Amino acid sequence: MALLLGINVWISVVLLPAVFVGAMHGFRFGVVMLPLAVLAWGLVRGGEAVLLGVFPATILFPVAMTPAMGSSHVYGPLRFMLVVVGVVAYLFGVSFFATFHEPPAPRSVRTLTSAQTGRPPRWRRRERVYWMLVGLSVVTPGILLSWVLFEPSIQSYLEQMYPGRLALMTTMLAVGAIVLYLGIYHYLFLGVLRPHRTGDRDIVVMLARASSDAKVGKPRTRFYLGVLVALAAMFALTLARHL
Amino acid sequence: MRRYFFEILAFSLIVGSLFFFKECLDYLARRDYVAAVLVMLIGVAVTSVGKEMARLALVQRD
Repeated sequence: MALLLGINVWISVVLLPAVFVGAMHGFRFGVVMLPLAVLAWGLVRGGEAVLLGVFPATILFPVAMTPAMGSSHVYGPLRFMLVVVGVVAYLFGVSFFATFHEPPAPRSVRTLTSAQTGRPPRWRRRERVYWMLVGLSVVTPGILLSWVLFEPSIQSYLEQMYPGRLALMTTMLAVGAIVLYLGIYHYLFLGVLRPHRTGDRDIVVMLARASSDAKVGKPRTRFYLGVLVALAAMFALTLARHL
Repeated sequence: MRRYFFEILAFSLIVGSLFFFKECLDYLARRDYVAAVLVMLIGVAVTSVGKEMARLALVQRD
């Protein structure tokens, strides 16, 4: 399954664009074939790091060597969506099959008392966080990349600023969008959700404290501060407009 | 009843604060940096007030 999904990614991201822009001659042919070799190595060795890290990284090598492979005239919106679906299917498939191992059949089965009560709330909460992270991992880079690649004003601005280097600059912007997304994911999404994901006791204590604070049905100081700041800024803006 | 009042107020304030951020971008595009900072302050303050209203609505729910 991982082989088929990986070959699909290689064909759609590397092979077809390389054939389309004519980047299959000389050493470029070796660069185009490199991700396939890495995929085979990962499958033989069975390493998650190779399949989920090194292979997707080597996919970018041919695009870096021939930036025209990543330009918007190669990827129309429909084709871009198909490629996105293929890449997401590969990442999900490999991460699922690499971590899912059917345990051997037990000799005997005894139902534990805790199994009668259903899944505890902390696991349901953790599962919601996981699904949220998965959703953000699909939606955010998709929006960023489609904005960079298909927004007409960005393309016309690049064409005006960098004549003759549109493909190179578009690819650079796409790489920048991916780097920006990785930063956002690490510091904002994962950073904010880490206590929910791993520190269940801390978050329960924090929620209990927030709930007891909320029981006091009066606005806190920050409400009055907010009103004061808003009024002061409006007054200053009015003065700046009319003086 | 009070709960719905606070909820509508909180929603209106938080959504309404987006207008100030949009105005901030417009001022930045016109290179009017002082006005942009002032409008951004108004937006942050309105969001903060809306958050407090949401908290009061939560108390009314309980």
